[in-house]
Amino acid sequence: MPPYTITYFPVRGRCEATRMLLADQGQDWKEDVVTFDMWVKGDLKANCLYGQLPKFTDGDLTLYQSNAILRHLGRKHGLYGKDDREAALLDVANDGVEDLRTKYIDFIYKNYEKGKDQYVKDLPTQLKPFETLLKQNPEGGAFIVGNKISFVDYNLLDLLLIHEVLAPGCLDSFPLLSAYVAGLSSRPKLQAFLASPQHTGLPINGNGKQ
Amino acid sequence: MLLVDQGQEWHDERLKPDKCVCESEELKTACFSELLPKFTDGDFTFCQSNAILRYLARKYELYGANFQEAALLDVANDGVETLRLKYLDLIYHHFEEDKDTYVKDLPTQLKPFEVLLSQNPRGGAFIVGDKISFVDYNLLDLLLIHLTLAPHCLEDFPLLSAYVAGLSSRPRIGKYLDSPRHTSLPINCNGKQ
Repeated sequence: MPPYTITYFPVRGRCEATRMLLADQGQDWKEDVVTFDMWVKGDLKANCLYGQLPKFTDGDLTLYQSNAILRHLGRKHGLYGKDDREAALLDVANDGVEDLRTKYIDFIYKNYEKGKDQYVKDLPTQLKPFETLLKQNPEGGAFIVGNKISFVDYNLLDLLLIHEVLAPGCLDSFPLLSAYVAGLSSRPKLQAFLASPQHTGLPINGNGKQ
Repeated sequence: MLLVDQGQEWHDERLKPDKCVCESEELKTACFSELLPKFTDGDFTFCQSNAILRYLARKYELYGANFQEAALLDVANDGVETLRLKYLDLIYHHFEEDKDTYVKDLPTQLKPFEVLLSQNPRGGAFIVGDKISFVDYNLLDLLLIHLTLAPHCLEDFPLLSAYVAGLSSRPRIGKYLDSPRHTSLPINCNGKQ
């Protein structure tokens, strides 16, 4: 009986980074799927701390907020850097991933048709800081910080993959990011997950746009 | 507030008003190292206010007693950040038009923090656990700036009211909150509050 349960809508959305982390780390988890109908009609929303999903349970610990979930798994599975300095740089990077993810979500759900051209035009500016972080990593660019994988790598990989769907070729002018995506995606367990129906069978977003 | 309460000294490097980050889209989207606030500890420099808080939390043991408390602190801090972003959006982008709506909606936004305090098995002096954490400083600041915006906003939240009173009366925090180092700074760059 896996100790981890993800309670979420049937989308990749804010949970796919967590799923990739768990899959790559060889962890099992249970999916508690909430349809939009259940969400609107049931009392789950009222019982969620911030009225939002995902909800994540680890035994008797219940968590909300996708980044809190990632950090918890980061601490638990040794995916938070090797010292306080790396941990701080990981937080900086993750906050950057979150900023762009928030912009993406806002665009997808509120401004897709009208805003797509501008969003894609502006993407290089938004992606550049991550290329810079990879360049600045004294241990090479396989991981965003340090020389082993972290919770942020799963989050950033997911962010980059969904942007490649939105704007194929958006990484062409970022050689380090391109290599980074290729490298991480070829990790055996992660590659298997990304090819599996567990991943491909879910839409990226709840409104079908991507 | 964290630094002063932990008895730490720090040096402020103030930018002139015309370099205020709120006015500069470039600064916001520039390389991470150009974002503000920027924090330096010896030869280590980095940015992002929550990354700074977490770094100091690890350094001064303000991140809970175990993994579970750390996770709950992250849940709480992400909630603080979400409300802080809404606040900043109001202050900088549509203060006059939407202040009333924002204040009316505040109870909904504040309720999760009252709930967290009520769920803390160690009582409501701190948001998680039985000692102060980086989130307490962040949440205290958030609540104080909201009391400035809407002086009665905590009246329906007895635990939050007691929480603010308790933390503000910690000797170093109380002294700092009364000091010119705190009072002489406007809350926001555009003078709105």
